Amino acid sequence: MNDAIDPVQRTVDDLYKTHYGKIVSVLLTNFPDIPLESVEDAVHDAFAAALTAWAAGTHPASTIPSNPIPSNSISSNSIPSNPPGWIYTVCRNKMINLLREGQRLRPLPDQHAGVEPNFDGPSSTFKDQQLNLLFSCAHPDLSPKVQVVITLKYVANLKTAAIAQALGMTEDGIDKLLFRAKKKIREEKLFLLDPGGLTGLHHRLPTVHKIIYLIFNEGYKPSSGDEAVNEAMCEEALLLCKDILDLGHGDTATRALYALMLFNAARFGGRLSPSGELLDLDEQDRSLWNRPMIVLAGDFLRQSRSTHLSSYHYEAGIAWLHCSADSFAGTNWRLISRLYLRLLRMNPNPFVELNYAIALYYAGGKAKAFEILEGLLHQPFMNGYYLLNAALGKLYMLEGDAARAKQFFARTLEQTTHPLEVAFIHRLSPP
Amino acid sequence: MEKFLLLIREDLQFRAKMTPADFKHNLQIMTKWVEWMAQSGNFLNADPLTDKGAYIGQNYVLSDGPFIEAKESISGFILIQAESLDQAVSFAQLCPLVLNGTAAVEVRTIMNMNMDDSNE
Repeated sequence: MNDAIDPVQRTVDDLYKTHYGKIVSVLLTNFPDIPLESVEDAVHDAFAAALTAWAAGTHPASTIPSNPIPSNSISSNSIPSNPPGWIYTVCRNKMINLLREGQRLRPLPDQHAGVEPNFDGPSSTFKDQQLNLLFSCAHPDLSPKVQVVITLKYVANLKTAAIAQALGMTEDGIDKLLFRAKKKIREEKLFLLDPGGLTGLHHRLPTVHKIIYLIFNEGYKPSSGDEAVNEAMCEEALLLCKDILDLGHGDTATRALYALMLFNAARFGGRLSPSGELLDLDEQDRSLWNRPMIVLAGDFLRQSRSTHLSSYHYEAGIAWLHCSADSFAGTNWRLISRLYLRLLRMNPNPFVELNYAIALYYAGGKAKAFEILEGLLHQPFMNGYYLLNAALGKLYMLEGDAARAKQFFARTLEQTTHPLEVAFIHRLSPP
Repeated sequence: MEKFLLLIREDLQFRAKMTPADFKHNLQIMTKWVEWMAQSGNFLNADPLTDKGAYIGQNYVLSDGPFIEAKESISGFILIQAESLDQAVSFAQLCPLVLNGTAAVEVRTIMNMNMDDSNE
């Protein structure tokens, strides 16, 4: 019996991961009168039903009475030949029942009787649907963090636990955030997708860029959880961005963003030593960087030429300069510091200022760099910031001021509990 | 984009009794929140306030302003830019001090004097 349960469980888990959001979005589009909660409940119920029905090998009609599924959709090993279609059909029937309950058996429009959509076909219908959903998540009344969470939930199909881990939040925190977001989704009919496509939402492209950028950054931070989750987040961001370009909805900023993420993803493998230690840029083995990916990123950066440069253009330019340098010392730090200055003018904030100061230090402007960094320490919200204190420790070390470096490293150790970061600081600290 | 002032309101007497470790912890979780708003290009400026100040009216200066006694007084501010008041509220709801119940946030829209409007 156990032997039989495992493949079913695996199939259902995989199916959940790849199709949960898709099925929800199709149902929301086909049944605009049914609220999101009911749709989600129905999909959850269908997955639970699949687990028992497929494992027990029973005909689903016996577990879900109101559900006339043709028996030929069940193969001999009890997992149906078209699993997403099975789930969709169960959900669709449930939707029809809900509508009947609410509408006293009014005749149903023809679209509800149609055949199930093709979930895995080569047609781009599903990608369109997914992009539609992505643009719906970019609602201007939601803060970027909420937009990111609902994108991860409904577009990327991550479970709450994975979202919590990826964003460094508790599951409870994500649930509360989703609870409020769902209210908005319901009241504003956020996911009521326009069958005409994206045209009505195209002005949200900059917000969509931001969502993708934030998802990638969360995945790229070494501190935000286990490597597998992190890489999955980065991949998701890359896929979404590529879909926008492939389906012709992108602009030059989309290309710059895609280039930026590729330049960074190309260096993913160099960030950890063979023994799993976090490595700073100057310690990384550049031969481990993914050269073909860097070349591809360069192509997209060239295609992103524009008279109107976005912050992604500047960040991609910085990443390109890192990727094309043959060594840390041989990096064009002067140009990097100038690009950071442009970024800073575009979006003045202490976090960009920190990066600007570090680049300025390596470009030779040491005095000015320390002046900025010490200045940032006076800002209460920056004073306890791990990366600022770590940077000061490292730069004082390079200046031969071990005593001051030690002070900053000691402060840094109070500001992070992440084992990789703690080990990193211990390794940098003077004995 | 419009500008909004998020006023952090908390019980200053309660805050004065906080251990340095708790205070530090609160600053750090606030930094993370601020970092997110900076990454998304919404953060403009922010600072916490000490509880030293004065209260000035036409005929008086109170050195211990009523803000000390009040249950909820302004303990810091965050200036952000956002698409709408709704979005500014959505930011405020994720303030870690709101989430852990130590503070409330008042969201106010910064008045924008539009030259075109004044000509109408």
